[in-house]
Amino acid sequence: MVDSTPLRQPPAPAADAVAQRRNRALFRNFFRRELTDRYLGSSTGLAWALLHPLALLAVYYFVFTMVYRAGAMQGKSFLLFVAVALWPWLAAQEGLQRATVSLAGYAGLIRKVAFPHELVIYASVAATLTLQFTGYLAVLVVLALFGEPVHFEGLLLAIPLWLAMAVAVTGLALAFAALQVFMRDVEHVMMPVLMIVMYLTPILYPLAMVPEGLRPWMAMNPFGWFVERLRDTLLDGKLALHWGDGLAVAGAVAVFLAGLWVFRRLSSYFEDFL
Amino acid sequence: MIRLLALSDVGKDYAKVETDGSRLRLVRDLLLGRGAAQVFRALQGVSFELQRGASLGVIGENGAGKSTLLKIIAGVIPPTHGSVDVRGRVGALLELGSGFHPEYTGLANIDLAAAMLGLSRAEIAAKRDEIIAFADIGEHIHEPIKHYSSGMVVRLGFAVATTLRPDVLITDEVLAVGDESFQKKCIAWIESYLADGGTLLLCSHSMYHIQKLCRHALWLKDGRVERYGAATEVTQAYLAFHEEKSAGAKQPIAVAHAHSAGVYAIQSLDLLPGDRVEEGGDLTLSGEVYSPDGRAPTVLIGIVRADGTPVFGVSTDMDGVQLRPTADGKYAYSLTLQRLALLPGKYFVHAHAMDPEASRLFDDVERSFIVSGETRELGFVRLPHRWD
Repeated sequence: MVDSTPLRQPPAPAADAVAQRRNRALFRNFFRRELTDRYLGSSTGLAWALLHPLALLAVYYFVFTMVYRAGAMQGKSFLLFVAVALWPWLAAQEGLQRATVSLAGYAGLIRKVAFPHELVIYASVAATLTLQFTGYLAVLVVLALFGEPVHFEGLLLAIPLWLAMAVAVTGLALAFAALQVFMRDVEHVMMPVLMIVMYLTPILYPLAMVPEGLRPWMAMNPFGWFVERLRDTLLDGKLALHWGDGLAVAGAVAVFLAGLWVFRRLSSYFEDFL
Repeated sequence: MIRLLALSDVGKDYAKVETDGSRLRLVRDLLLGRGAAQVFRALQGVSFELQRGASLGVIGENGAGKSTLLKIIAGVIPPTHGSVDVRGRVGALLELGSGFHPEYTGLANIDLAAAMLGLSRAEIAAKRDEIIAFADIGEHIHEPIKHYSSGMVVRLGFAVATTLRPDVLITDEVLAVGDESFQKKCIAWIESYLADGGTLLLCSHSMYHIQKLCRHALWLKDGRVERYGAATEVTQAYLAFHEEKSAGAKQPIAVAHAHSAGVYAIQSLDLLPGDRVEEGGDLTLSGEVYSPDGRAPTVLIGIVRADGTPVFGVSTDMDGVQLRPTADGKYAYSLTLQRLALLPGKYFVHAHAMDPEASRLFDDVERSFIVSGETRELGFVRLPHRWD
């Protein structure tokens, strides 16, 4: 019997329920580990998760409001306009970058213990996005306290939007992390590419300001769509769903499944290359 | 008989990548589901079954595929060819620091390992004290693993792997690391585990441990099964193989050098009946020794264990023996150890030439030999004894 793409074997043909319980426990363990690893040794601990985005917000306030004196953008202050979109981007970017290199930190386990390797990616993305979402909420609250008109009821839609974004980021992270095991350049290529994508996404500017001819191209960027929807909900309080939302969720799931497919094709060879 | 483990024609190929281009090709091939194009065959055609209560020792040289085989059975890597069927819970302790995170404390690692084994939080809490007690590393349990000595890591690893009494226990060369008392504790644990019907797969370079703990043994050579059978038979064949290998590499005694240097030198050392002796049989060590000044040299002969522990040594001088000169200005010696009291195992005999006054030692010629036998007595010398 020759099988060139063997599937991962569970350590024992235990009942599915047992395997699932084990995987959940492992995920929890990895998730905690990801959170504590990041702040291990820093005296401020997890408070840093809140301090960091707020410090960043203060800097942006200084640069955009006090130095550039940027005017209103779509009827909102420039700071609010940018903040709503920039933190989700930072979250997605950090989630992708950390998850891409996360397998190396688990090399010891992967080489010696049988477990589904994708749990590492799930835990890494989940930890980053959890922290970043907390920071996002803190930023919104602080902005509201300073009198900015934040529509908090928009979170009803913003949270599902974030979840869809998380699913898509996880899919990309699965593929990149698997490739990173074999080709160490993935991580390095990713940094400039992400920066370029950020400037090509209507985060620091509205799509309406882009020259007419380029707009259809820019509108194809799914992250741009995500940012637009966040502004609709949190800045304008529009909670209506439209057909694009269904498409976005389907797209996120498709990206996830594609990433998982790549990951599973490569993961049985990790042991030798990590 | 319940079959816990069945391997059928198991093989493992590792992808060979030398250049960046071949890495890219490998990724492409894997994504297309083709498997690697250039491979190193780490393991091939391995088939065996383990029934509940069986104990199998896996032996072989470094790089023979032992660890790969254990990893496949533990489910860490899938086999490239063949199939593995495991029924029951496998507890694996693969190499040192198996699956531990160096930055984390012993306690945190216990929790991680327990989660790996699929324990619920309540079960982990219940087992934690048991594990800590077995590992017995005191306050170190609160320190990160990276500050542990290798012995402490093994203690913790063994404690974790065994606390659940897995259906199949796989250990890879871990007994060698712990100190004497912990080794004893592990062996005692394994013996009681086997007595209770546990199943063991033990990989070790210590034939002693294999013979003591395993009923069967599997000798892997270059990724293939060289021999499979009763543990005593396979381990003796394995040791014999090493004998031949090291005998082949041995330098012939430099006769010319000894002559020109003008020192007392052993010219030859022969073993009779050979390099395998039955326990309780006679062993004769004989040869010739060169003397630069026509005076009869002193010959000192010593027996040491494979690990260098001296067992017995005696010289012609101690026994007041005068060596006989031979025709060409050399001297012959012959020492017979009657009814050899050595227990089965591997030993070395050293012959040294000394000056007639037995004050200076000039050289060291070494031969190894194996005492064969089936006794289960412990240690390396049989002392005359009587139970009353």
